[in-house]
Amino acid sequence: MLEDILSGIFSAGTFNQMLRSATPVALAALGGAMTEHAGIMNIGMDGMILMGAFFGVLGSWYFGSAAAGVALVLVMGVIVGLFFALFTVKFRSDEFIIGTALNTFALGLTSFLSRSIFGTAGTKGNPALPTVHLPFLDAIPFLGRVLNDNSLFIYVTWALVLVMWLFVYRTPYGLWLRASGEKPETLRTAGIAPERMKWLASILCGLLCGLAGAHLSLGQLQGTFAEDMANSRGYIAFACVIFSKADPAMAYVAALMFGFFDAIGLRLQDYISSDLTNTIPYVITIVMMVYVVVRSQRKKRHAGKRLPQRQT
Amino acid sequence: MKTKILALVLAVVMVLSLAACGGGKDAGGDAEKLTVALVVADKFGDRSFYDSSKAGLDKLAADFGVEPKTIECNGENHATQMRNAADVADVVVCVGWEFYDIETIAPEYPDVKWIWIDNATSAPVENVLNITYAQNEGSFLAGYIAAAMSQSGVIGAVGGEDADTINDFIVGYEQGAQYWAEAHDATIDVMHNYANTYTDPAVGKECAISLNDSGADVIFQIASATGDGVFEAAAEKGFYAIGVDSDQKYINEDVIICSMKKEVGDSIYDAISKLIGGDASLWGTTWVADMSTGYVGIGYGEDGSVQQVPDELKEEVADIAEAIISGTIVVNTTRS
Repeated sequence: MLEDILSGIFSAGTFNQMLRSATPVALAALGGAMTEHAGIMNIGMDGMILMGAFFGVLGSWYFGSAAAGVALVLVMGVIVGLFFALFTVKFRSDEFIIGTALNTFALGLTSFLSRSIFGTAGTKGNPALPTVHLPFLDAIPFLGRVLNDNSLFIYVTWALVLVMWLFVYRTPYGLWLRASGEKPETLRTAGIAPERMKWLASILCGLLCGLAGAHLSLGQLQGTFAEDMANSRGYIAFACVIFSKADPAMAYVAALMFGFFDAIGLRLQDYISSDLTNTIPYVITIVMMVYVVVRSQRKKRHAGKRLPQRQT
Repeated sequence: MKTKILALVLAVVMVLSLAACGGGKDAGGDAEKLTVALVVADKFGDRSFYDSSKAGLDKLAADFGVEPKTIECNGENHATQMRNAADVADVVVCVGWEFYDIETIAPEYPDVKWIWIDNATSAPVENVLNITYAQNEGSFLAGYIAAAMSQSGVIGAVGGEDADTINDFIVGYEQGAQYWAEAHDATIDVMHNYANTYTDPAVGKECAISLNDSGADVIFQIASATGDGVFEAAAEKGFYAIGVDSDQKYINEDVIICSMKKEVGDSIYDAISKLIGGDASLWGTTWVADMSTGYVGIGYGEDGSVQQVPDELKEEVADIAEAIISGTIVVNTTRS
């Protein structure tokens, strides 16, 4: 019995699903990390993903190529990012309300356009992104099967994690980005407008969340769009951002964890009620948040301890 | 000051125009034309359950000139949307098992005729017609076909969620598969999982891939738009799929071998056309649309589409359908 369960859980299929389920969340979390560093609380990622999913399929359908779909997603990502920054940075509106509004707006817009253009709430079978076969992985027994023959964006995400990590921690722009959130006045004294970095972060977030949506509809699925298909992945991504303290590499690890528990939950349904397995991602979120709180409390306590020591 | 007055005037004009709109609609509904409001629990575009109900309404509009109205609940505010519909319509059709509030709301609107699709009130309500479907009977046939078509001896089903109506499909499907196994002295393993969403094809795809990893080579989707992912997984991994509610063959005729049809639209059409003909005797009862009336069955797609199910098997299935209608085979159910 237990052996059955374990062999079901630790199969190549589980880890394949982990990679597939984690990638849209990870891409969105990379975007969320940018706005988080810039000091913008961004809960509008779900809407951004949904827009990406729709415009990816739209471009793929209209131009007959997935590459054109991705190009359209990038254009729309910039527009959505500019739109988000216009309200949160320029007009200084409440970030929470703008994020919620963006989610609602994206759902309405994509549903409306989908019905006007495709006649129904969804479309399928449009040109999709290719899967990649890496011959050198064939030689590796278990890992090879997991890592090989995945959709293009799974590999692109690995590259993007590295690029975004280097950007945030190893370039002056990354330093300014972090300063714009943590110490905006210091940045201003150094002659750089923090607003500009916030605009940049917002645009990057729009782009990355758009790619997350494009992966969902064009990579994980074969050119399929269904209404509301983002299905709260943006909120999971937000949890990853907070958990990782907006470190791109850690955010990817957190997304993998969600993907892993998604895959396990599905395989545990034979033994546990699906209503319970369905709660796993949310239980994980709560555990993560508890960890975040404990971590910050401990830091505070350490800081508090050190202070009187210095005084004596 | 000037702008304030202007704003006030504009506001008054807007309110008046809204009131005028509302009045116009009411007048349209009261005049001889019958207004039928279709309230769906989730949203259209699933190319199966809800879209089928919409097709029935469209047909009513074309044949009898009824005034159609549609409301999509998007999975929430069911009670409010029922009241909104009852305010403007003569007949309200609630499509989905979620509309439990009908028991208390329908008596508040005695002049409105209600239809509840896919579930039944605990006690008869005078102005409510419950239509439930013997999806277990249709699924029995689907299970029989799946078992016969399987090479691996393992078949699967992806359900939308762990709910009575969905499980009614599953028990019928399992029984049908075991019926085939007994008749052919074989063993069949029937697996299932639940996607817990009706709008996320990516999850549906993962559910199907996970079943396929465990050996299932024919998979029945019972999950609305989530099921689109099951068809995709079938095309990608090379197994067969079975559609649900509508004849879904056209979505991908190479992998969808048949569909378990639940003619929701036809049953709505027939009930309301009876009402238009002056026969309201159905109201206050629960009508089980089963295989004998042809509202539940198996569809193999339009003529000329690619067929995987051999003709001999189709004949066997037709014989079993007869046995179910005559009562020789009794199909398990989770409907109370």
